[in-house]
Amino acid sequence: MKKGKMKSGSFLGFMFALPAVIYMLVFIGYPMIQNLILSFKNVDVYTFAQPENQQFVGMANYIELFTDINSIMTKSITNTLIFTVGSIFFQFFIGFGLALLFSKKFRGCSFFRGVTMISWLLPVTVAGLLFKFMFASSGGIINQFLMGLHILDAPLDWLLEPKSAMTAIIVANIWIGIPFNMMLLITGLTTIPTEVYESANLDGANKIQTLISITIPMIKPAIMSVLTLGFVYTFKVFDLVWVMTKGGPVNATELVSTYAYRLSFEEFQFSKGAAAANVLFLILLVVGCFYIKLINDEEEAM
Amino acid sequence: MRKETKSNIKFFVIGALIFAVFIFPLYWMVVTALKTQTEIFEIPTPIWPRNLYLDAFKEQLSLSGDTLRGFKNSAIIAVGATLISTIFSIPAAYGLARFRFKAKKGLILFFLITQMLPSTLVLTPLYIMFSRIGILNTYLAPILADATLGIPFSIIILRTYFISIPKELDEAANIDGCGHVQSFFRIMLPIAKPGVIVAAVFSFVYAWGDLIYGITFITNPTMRPITSSIYNYVQQYQTLWNSTMAFGIIAIMPVVLIFIFMQKYIVSGLTNGAVKA
Repeated sequence: MKKGKMKSGSFLGFMFALPAVIYMLVFIGYPMIQNLILSFKNVDVYTFAQPENQQFVGMANYIELFTDINSIMTKSITNTLIFTVGSIFFQFFIGFGLALLFSKKFRGCSFFRGVTMISWLLPVTVAGLLFKFMFASSGGIINQFLMGLHILDAPLDWLLEPKSAMTAIIVANIWIGIPFNMMLLITGLTTIPTEVYESANLDGANKIQTLISITIPMIKPAIMSVLTLGFVYTFKVFDLVWVMTKGGPVNATELVSTYAYRLSFEEFQFSKGAAAANVLFLILLVVGCFYIKLINDEEEAM
Repeated sequence: MRKETKSNIKFFVIGALIFAVFIFPLYWMVVTALKTQTEIFEIPTPIWPRNLYLDAFKEQLSLSGDTLRGFKNSAIIAVGATLISTIFSIPAAYGLARFRFKAKKGLILFFLITQMLPSTLVLTPLYIMFSRIGILNTYLAPILADATLGIPFSIIILRTYFISIPKELDEAANIDGCGHVQSFFRIMLPIAKPGVIVAAVFSFVYAWGDLIYGITFITNPTMRPITSSIYNYVQQYQTLWNSTMAFGIIAIMPVVLIFIFMQKYIVSGLTNGAVKA
């Protein structure tokens, strides 16, 4: 009797989940497989409408991507790494600092903390345009500010110079990503019982000692989550860069995501674009597996 | 006591400074939208407009403009995607929270992974698929695609919600003769309402903010969502910053309103969705 009930219950559980699973298989799973197949074919603007001329070309698209002279693919991977590491480094440290500050109780605390959340919710397109304007060479407030401080002598064409363009998109992305880091770290901090701090205080530990030997080890799971998830989310950023620089100047800010989009929807080399997107997926998969292992360990520990 | 107030003031000042720096871009967006073009390009540009110049807003809000049309399109697309995402994710989250079955762990993993996928990965195949079934340049194309952003996230947050509801409640319902399906609708759903709101809010925000599906699946200017129309507007009117910023302010309005009224929910959703699984 009991066993039978259990069985029907488990079947029911699966049925509850089934519609969502089917939806995701149709609109994500199936397209992923199609994308893989597409990447081994020769579909471009000429063969797109003529299925009879589409052929399997094996790894040719991948090989071309990486072996072209001045391969943009290699450059875009390097750029994406710079963009991701640069963004996460600052997002994390600023977010951590803010988390420490805002986990204290003081007047206005929850208001200040709440409002800093908003940059994360804004449509990235609008945030990107806002930063494009602030970094503009004429009328841009950032040039004016830096010239006022005599850091710059003349207005800099931020988005038109390779190095400064990368800096600009990283700065914009840091602004967008800080709240995410802050909130997850605050949640981590609230799990530390106050007694731990009290006893550290009694033992005569100073603030920095407490931070390094108590706070950081105790919120290590939250830190690892923030870093790996942040990596995945940053590595696939598209809209921000597309709006601010479109990958320019001369591919200086071309990321794997923008390059894949450009190949498919501006140059209509669909198969090559699919191959580039798969490379992006592969990198994310490795980091994603790391994250999933992390939370599984955590769940088992709990 | 004295020391406490002193450190309290210190934190308040630091907090206020950080707040000011952080919020500055938004302040600048509002101020720029209220300036004339001449003021924007003056050196140094005024920190506050001399006269509040409302023409940029008036122009954006005129009925002939792209702005309101984009707003309407985005509203349709985001509401559609939110409905689909919520309807599919509620039962799935319930099933994955309350029942034990073999594929459960695998399915949770599946949703976790889909949440991390880049849109470029499925973009071309979706484009081909939608062009075959003839829904390119209809609202349905971005609605169907945007819902895939909301579903995994909603399932993950809602599952933690359902798990947190004591099991005794369904057991009591079962004893009273409610079946699983009945107890789901009568008991679980009303209790999980805050979770459902969080999930819906995030699905809406994701769909409202989408650019890549909007610019790819909809090329007809009258059907474009607002992110896509502001993107195209800037391509066309490069340095018309006051109008662009006014456009931007209108585009972020729904999100700002959601933020003001649902901040508590959003914070809980963000942390539950990302930390727990």
